[in-house]
Amino acid sequence: MDMTLIGGILVVCMFLMLTSGIWVALTLTGLAIIGLKLIDNGSIGLLLGTSSWSATTGWSLTALPLFIWMGEILFRTRLSQDLFEGLSPTLSKLPGKLLHVNILSCGIFAAVSGSSAATAATIGRMTLPELSKRGYDDSMAIGTLAGSGTLGLLIPPSIILIIYGVAAEVSIARLFLAGALPGLILILLFMSYTIVWSIIKGRSGGAVDDITYTFAEKLLALKKLIPIIFLIGGVLGSIYQGIATPTEAAAFGVLGALALSMLLGSFTLSGFIDSVTGAVKNSCMLGLILVGAHFLTLAMGFIGIPNALAEWIASLGLSPIQLIMCLTVFFIALGCFLDGISVIVLTTSVVLPMVTQAGIDAIWFGIFLVLVVEMSQITPPVGFNLFVIQSLTGKNIIYVAKAALPFFFMIAVAIVLITAYPAIALYLPTLMNS
Amino acid sequence: MTALKKYFYLSSAFLSGACLVMMTLLISAQIAARFMGAVIPSSEDFAGWLLSATIFFGLAYTFHEGAHIRVTMLLVRLGATKRRYLEFINLVAGLFVSGYLAFYTFHTVYESYDFGDVTDTYLVVPLWMVQMPMAIGSLFLFIAMVDSFVVMLMGKTPRYIVNEDEMSKEV
Repeated sequence: MDMTLIGGILVVCMFLMLTSGIWVALTLTGLAIIGLKLIDNGSIGLLLGTSSWSATTGWSLTALPLFIWMGEILFRTRLSQDLFEGLSPTLSKLPGKLLHVNILSCGIFAAVSGSSAATAATIGRMTLPELSKRGYDDSMAIGTLAGSGTLGLLIPPSIILIIYGVAAEVSIARLFLAGALPGLILILLFMSYTIVWSIIKGRSGGAVDDITYTFAEKLLALKKLIPIIFLIGGVLGSIYQGIATPTEAAAFGVLGALALSMLLGSFTLSGFIDSVTGAVKNSCMLGLILVGAHFLTLAMGFIGIPNALAEWIASLGLSPIQLIMCLTVFFIALGCFLDGISVIVLTTSVVLPMVTQAGIDAIWFGIFLVLVVEMSQITPPVGFNLFVIQSLTGKNIIYVAKAALPFFFMIAVAIVLITAYPAIALYLPTLMNS
Repeated sequence: MTALKKYFYLSSAFLSGACLVMMTLLISAQIAARFMGAVIPSSEDFAGWLLSATIFFGLAYTFHEGAHIRVTMLLVRLGATKRRYLEFINLVAGLFVSGYLAFYTFHTVYESYDFGDVTDTYLVVPLWMVQMPMAIGSLFLFIAMVDSFVVMLMGKTPRYIVNEDEMSKEV
């Protein structure tokens, strides 16, 4: 059968299956079965069996449930409160005052958690009521949270970078290094926007918030951040210095998070069990998606779609920049109705050969993808951060999306920056001794 | 029957959680051993096998909890009757794919057993033994799908839908 026809049938099937509400992981598996049937492959079941096994037994993949578990443990501590109380005094002089607490606490929490929804939920639960009590502008409070919640995806440890690394067969430690600088740049962009907004509006967002702190009080407050700084230093530091693999660092992170939760006095047995079941649910959900994605990638290879696509793109003679622009638009459209993980696994199974063919670095492309997915997290109708904040505030999704719009553009600026200066993402990984 | 179902999902969660905890302990033990200049043989491979067991054992529980993601954009906008019809179609597709997965993972395990395959690791283990959780977990998922399908047939709402709706309300 003609490849264009097979491709067309698969796209239609995918659209129908996804919109009707068939589970994403099973859709991927089902698509692969249909595709292999169309080319009369005789050993579909055997391929499924072996790819289920190889998709779930990788050593680098073991980091995934561990980082998820670590986040689940910390989610149940009073870490978010400590972050708020620790950061507030120091930031009270900056134009925008406590709005920056939203951004920085998300940035710090992102360095121990790998998910953007978890980051937004953990920090928002604490900061939103406090900001609204002190009279801050509602839409700015929501916007800063929605935007900086997405940092959970980019700042290592990041679940989505692990998934990309496994699917694209790129070193996860290198991806983690590559994500660090773009993450810091995003924080700076978010903070700059908040400062400019506050100066233009002529108020710090909070009419009532005129509490001032002495230097000693600031220092005392910052002491609350010490345990978390140690945890981040231990986990990320050991990866960056090359003394531990991401998996080992993750196991250390789980133990560290448990120790921290005992230190903060919020450790309970039922909380511990909840954290395990939470981690189980997320890991199994992602694991089944990985099985489907692995199988689909295999099927795609048999059908020959990725290569054909790569040749077609090469024949168009697009420059890498033009290709990146087309892909950005395509991914944002895809991200409007699919969640980030699904976008990543669908992409790596079809688009990656075409991208590497065009001479684009696979590590750089991972960071680019994550930034695009961050944008899709805050665009309606399907944006997970919007859902989280909607349920935290009770505001409707359009209001939340509007509040988040400036931060959507800030992420777009970050994409332009890393495209113009790829070294932002690629410099740190070169420092790592292999 | 209700009690049986409860224990079924509970054991799915328990087996998965236990494997996760064991995996963490194993990796931590390996780090500790390395500091003392010792090596735990094949620990990386065992961690990988425990990961596979974690993922597959928990599939049924995750499904029951409504945590396997899907696009519900269309479903939530449909009326009750139409939504039920579409949900039936989804479950039939789910039954098919998970049944296929369960059948062929068992097939894979059987072949490993039949050929007497062993792992290519430092500590040699029969391959079928470490592959078994994959097949059992896939079967669990299929049973969970059958369970939801039967609940739907009886005119009730399966637990996963209730949980999904709750999650979208509170997150």
